Amino acid sequence: MTKILLRDKLDDCLTRWHAAGFDVVGPVRKNNISQYATVEKADELDLGTILPDRTLKDLFFPQTEPMFSYRISKQKIDTEEYLPPGRQRIIFGARPCDASAMAIDDPLFGWDYQDTYWFKRRNETVIVTIACTAADEFCMCTSLKLAPDSTQGSDILLRPLGDNRGWQVEELTDRGREAFSRIEGLLEESPAQTAALADVPVKFDLDICREWLQNPENFESHFWKEISMRCIGCGTCTFLCPTCHCFDFQDEGDTYTGIRRKNWDSCSFALFTMHTSGHNPRSTQSARWRQRIMHKFNYFPGKFNMNSCSGCGRCTRECPVDMGITETLQEITKLSQ
Amino acid sequence: MSIQEQYRKKAAELLSSGEVKLVIGYGAGSTPERRRALFARTADDAALLHVDASCDANLSGYLVTEGLLSDKKKIGIFLRPEGIRSVNILAAESQLDPDQIVILGFTEENGTISALQGTHASDFAALMTALKENRTPSEKEQALVEKIEAMTPQERFAFWQAEFAKCIKCYACRQVCPMCYCKRCIVDNNQPQWVHTSSHTLGNFEWNLVRAFHLSGRCVECGGCDRACPVNIPLRLINRRMANEVLDAFDHFSGMDQNQEPVLASFKKDDPETFIL
Repeated sequence: MTKILLRDKLDDCLTRWHAAGFDVVGPVRKNNISQYATVEKADELDLGTILPDRTLKDLFFPQTEPMFSYRISKQKIDTEEYLPPGRQRIIFGARPCDASAMAIDDPLFGWDYQDTYWFKRRNETVIVTIACTAADEFCMCTSLKLAPDSTQGSDILLRPLGDNRGWQVEELTDRGREAFSRIEGLLEESPAQTAALADVPVKFDLDICREWLQNPENFESHFWKEISMRCIGCGTCTFLCPTCHCFDFQDEGDTYTGIRRKNWDSCSFALFTMHTSGHNPRSTQSARWRQRIMHKFNYFPGKFNMNSCSGCGRCTRECPVDMGITETLQEITKLSQ
Repeated sequence: MSIQEQYRKKAAELLSSGEVKLVIGYGAGSTPERRRALFARTADDAALLHVDASCDANLSGYLVTEGLLSDKKKIGIFLRPEGIRSVNILAAESQLDPDQIVILGFTEENGTISALQGTHASDFAALMTALKENRTPSEKEQALVEKIEAMTPQERFAFWQAEFAKCIKCYACRQVCPMCYCKRCIVDNNQPQWVHTSSHTLGNFEWNLVRAFHLSGRCVECGGCDRACPVNIPLRLINRRMANEVLDAFDHFSGMDQNQEPVLASFKKDDPETFIL
């Protein structure tokens, strides 16, 4: 006997969660884009989508965020801090790769100091993930040693039932249990047959790639120039990456009054490493692409013992020139064989 | 011989004879439907080239890669008519020498590809005139244009507000555009910061409007920005509208030839100047 959440009870669940003070967020398709957005009713949710175009990081690390305002007068400096609004949220229908990505970024935002913006939102959010029964040709979670039913980063994992009537509930954390205690009575206890998980083929050998990347001889390899020749240097792969987390500070206003904001930035941009002197240590696109791969699969695992990639495949799916992590790591795997 | 075999052979000949140092074309992509830029340097590389209806990217932007043409050697490139127009503009704006460009042109009609006669940008004058006379957007595009034109100013503002709200300032539209070749874009200038870098309502409007104006009379409507946009903003419509304005006001069809004066950077005594009250 397992706990079952039936699809036709979802509206009642939303009502209960709303009554308990939770915002409910889930995949929504609107204006020709799918992204995680706040919903009032269950029918607004697009739970059939393989993966939303936008990632879960938008909800914890928005593309632009005011940090504080300042006013400098003759005698004093006044500042007013902005913090994320304190709202309890339930994300219903995250994908395992997106949820995993949040767990990947947690140590990053907490290793030297606790990033208030990230952790405030993380602590106010319950992530209810739905395991994948379908994948497309860009999905690559298994290559990252994750799976269509990975629990990393999730508070609840829902496994779709074979008859599509609902989901089997796996409670993973206390926070998840607490949120699901609000819908007690709406869940059923019955035997259940879960649907087959998506078949996601392994596309490259992560261990071989790591070894190749760690070899200092390969840093100046001609490989980097060849593989990135068609890269146009836009920020699509980084901004649509669920784990990419680089940001820039911008003061909007003038010397005396304004707002300091935290904005997404991208290692793909030439400006990212431009020095005030005009010197740019990463002066070519190949050096920038190398940095992106090295960071995700060499430096980040060296520091945090996990790869900065959850295998969602958006970098390849959305790349305007059909590049992406998959191709690069496939080629590195080939080089080493 | 199919156009693909024909162009593979031609590219191989150009490379083997040393007439060009490089052929920029299309290769197989990560899925059967996708094509990606392929940089062929040898006859063997040329055998990997593709020419079919899936080859939609305007590759001309790669021509202005820093240093690529500075050795005065020639480069072959697969171009659709819009790409040839881009080469004309890049030549007119002194970004390249058209004598260094060997064009392997092709065009598509109802999903069928055919080769274009000529190899030098100046060989396509008749085609350019025909394109100017026969500007027809796709049915889908036309329907959307009509829908937007029928809106009240308030509705139209709301429409674009919703579209620009999706913008994440990844600058894929800029990076993929052959006309956006500036070494340092105005949005990357930070002393002073002319345009907000933040991706908020104001910043997104600023960016998209600045881009629309900078491309007026220069955009060749290849649709590259529209296809590149990862959040599906219908950028093509903005450029289309601006191209219509420039055509109506100045009879200017961008990229007609390599000597065309940039419409917003040139002066004519008989300009109508109706905007001066």
